[in-house]
Amino acid sequence: MGSQHSPGDVVQAASDLVASYQNGKISRRQFGKGLIGLGIGATAASVILAACGGSDSKTTPGTSGGTSGGASEGTPKVGGTLREGYNRDISKLDPITTNWYDPAFSAIYETIVTDDPDGKTVAQFAKSFTVSDDGLTYTFEIPEGSVSHSGGAMGAKQIADVLTTIKEKSFIGGVSTVPMEGYSVDGNNVILKMKNAWLGALNPHKTGYWGLLNIDTWNAAGGLDPKSTYGTASADGTGPFTFGEWVPGSHTLVNRWDNYPGSNTPYITNPGKAYLDAIRWSVITEAGQRATQLEGGELDTLIGPSYADLERLKGNKELTVIQHPEWSGFQLSMNRDYPEFFGDVETRQGLSHAINRQGLVDAVLFGNGDATYGPFPKTDRQYETKVEEFNQFDVAKSKDLLAKAGWTAGSDGILERNGTRFEFAAVVEDETTQKLIAEAVTQQFKEVGVSAKFEVVDRAVAFEKESGEGQKAAPMSLFFWLWPVPLDILVIFSSSETIPVPNFSHVKDDKIDSAVAEWRKSGTADAAQKASSNFQLLWAETLPYIPLMNQYATFAHQNYVKGWQPFVWLLYPLYNDVWMDK
Amino acid sequence: MNRFRRALKNKQLVIGSIIALVIVVLGIFGPAIFGDYAKQDLLRGHKPLGTSGAFFGTDALGRSLAARATFGIRISLLVAISVTGLAMVLGTIIGLIAGYVKGVIDGVISLLIDFIWGFPLILVAVLAAASIGSGLLPVIFAVGLVNTVAIARVVRGEVLGISEKDFVVAAKAGGYSTMRIITKHIAPNVIPVALVLSSYYVAVAIIAEAALSFVGLGAQPPLPSLGQMVSEGRNYMRLNHWESTIPGVIIFAMVLSVSLIGDGLRDLLDPRLRTALERARVK
Repeated sequence: MGSQHSPGDVVQAASDLVASYQNGKISRRQFGKGLIGLGIGATAASVILAACGGSDSKTTPGTSGGTSGGASEGTPKVGGTLREGYNRDISKLDPITTNWYDPAFSAIYETIVTDDPDGKTVAQFAKSFTVSDDGLTYTFEIPEGSVSHSGGAMGAKQIADVLTTIKEKSFIGGVSTVPMEGYSVDGNNVILKMKNAWLGALNPHKTGYWGLLNIDTWNAAGGLDPKSTYGTASADGTGPFTFGEWVPGSHTLVNRWDNYPGSNTPYITNPGKAYLDAIRWSVITEAGQRATQLEGGELDTLIGPSYADLERLKGNKELTVIQHPEWSGFQLSMNRDYPEFFGDVETRQGLSHAINRQGLVDAVLFGNGDATYGPFPKTDRQYETKVEEFNQFDVAKSKDLLAKAGWTAGSDGILERNGTRFEFAAVVEDETTQKLIAEAVTQQFKEVGVSAKFEVVDRAVAFEKESGEGQKAAPMSLFFWLWPVPLDILVIFSSSETIPVPNFSHVKDDKIDSAVAEWRKSGTADAAQKASSNFQLLWAETLPYIPLMNQYATFAHQNYVKGWQPFVWLLYPLYNDVWMDK
Repeated sequence: MNRFRRALKNKQLVIGSIIALVIVVLGIFGPAIFGDYAKQDLLRGHKPLGTSGAFFGTDALGRSLAARATFGIRISLLVAISVTGLAMVLGTIIGLIAGYVKGVIDGVISLLIDFIWGFPLILVAVLAAASIGSGLLPVIFAVGLVNTVAIARVVRGEVLGISEKDFVVAAKAGGYSTMRIITKHIAPNVIPVALVLSSYYVAVAIIAEAALSFVGLGAQPPLPSLGQMVSEGRNYMRLNHWESTIPGVIIFAMVLSVSLIGDGLRDLLDPRLRTALERARVK
């Protein structure tokens, strides 16, 4: 038996820990470990952490059920295939050409840096990194002798090559790296030179789109050729798992890489190769099926259970539910190449005031989300609260603004202006949540005399219909974005340089462009906050898109799964610490 | 009158008609009674059957399931009856022509019938949706096409048999025109068959419309259809199963009523069967 503490001792020790943590003397991780060391369970510890105002506390809706600790919960067991349910279809496992990245990216690839649970940038593939005082040079130390799954060298030269390829050839890379000059090699170091100091320089590098791959394998498989087999028949990264199978609509399988040298990420506790033999992600787009399969023991872990099933899952003692705000949002584009509808700001504002965002959160997300009045989720580090002065649900104001814009009700109640009825086609992806939102919005528009006819189409078709030039793009579309740093993606949704994709609204607004430029030149935290606030307020006022809401990322796992710890700063968990106690 | 009395004694026909009457009344008057199917109350989502102010409960957006289901009935009936009615007329005409004229015309029509008959309904609907977009139109086209072919196929077979009968041969020998022979001598003998068959295809059309809407090819939101309601409700089966159960039960009742009516009509209209039944009663 271990040593026993009296309740008084535990309370005193816990109080001391709280004081140390609040004074910044110990890290959040050390604090959590200290609480667990006192015999306080992980769940209780997380509650105390939240109560202490740790960086996650204000952003973490909560964890319920059993514990979800890692190796500290016992001696990790090696072996087994983790069966993970995933709520989306899978995209090709190619960081350079994909337009979406899935959890398997976190197993196959490493990024040069990543975020830790406190939101601090830490090394992942790199051994370390430094930033020059002037903010113009980033130096990444590359571990010597590194190889990819195929055995190909992954030294500084290869890493610089792949990062350059991502920057220059990947669509997302190109539009996210405007202030970057380029990458070069200096011994074991990769040097990133900036055109100007920019606080956002490392952000894209933490996403799956910057997954480090063996560029020779990528080129040999076809590179940018649409017929390339890279990411569908093979993948060659440096992560703890290797490519196994990729079957769209069904599953992805990865197998442990036995030559994995261990992670450089400070918070990964496993010093070597992964504990699991394999991981299999099953595509379960049927919302109601996901929770049922987890409860039935067909899955070990689950990403994105239906919110309708959440209370039931939370009440299941065999399961743990983890939830935190997601860096995502639902928004409506308004194609400015239909100026008769969306050309004037009063009309756009009128439409926006017609939307009951909180009602949508309550009805569609069962309260698991937040209404958004500007572009960002409320919990973003740079969230500007003043956006909430805009776009509040107010039908009278909506009607008033539309009337000021010159719209008058026709005989059937639909508004008309200069002989044009306020009636337009809109596009929505064939997905449960988005369809419900579209239905709700349709009715809310109708209440103010606007007729939006949503067409439900497959994901690919929706993208195609959103992406055209001029009036080839739908007048309106409902779009769901997901990206770890909202500002990075939202600037490219509204910048005039990215028309028609992903600036689906075809917005050409000098003020927005200036705000984007200001953000890209911000080299200090203050400058970044100022630029970000300016961007958010402009967005909320001029409405390049109508913001609707963002949802909470939700994960659930069987209690026998250890070390599977999704957290707010990453879209998906890392898998090297995961093991199963069964 | 004699036939009406016989109809009243036919339990299948009576029960089927009563169910159908209730459904038709709901379809016609339900939307007026239960209100606007699109009206939302976002704070009253997922209410179960019997909730005050929402007779059948509510869906995710707090919309009345009663209003939506009754409007869904209207859509189902509209699609099923109009499409099958049209299919009956076209199928009977095509079957009559193919079966009586024979030769090259029959060969071409039969080839087309066999070709279309070889495609599953759902595939035809998918192809139609791909070419003209999703919505009720491709459903009407797909169900209409398949039902027309099905009716034409059976009518042609009947006509082939009837055209060899003595009264048809006598009519030909008497110099009557082809049109007269078809309309006056053959058609009256195949129409009851087509009618009975149509009642079966009304059921097929109801199920097809529901199935196609279930997979997203039918009525598009916010227009409610029963299949789409079952589809949307299945995500909340453990929370409020009524969202799927109610439209599901209505689809079941509609199909049951049409099937019972079809069986009853068969007993009533098929002279061979009727004679056999009467003989059985005498014995």
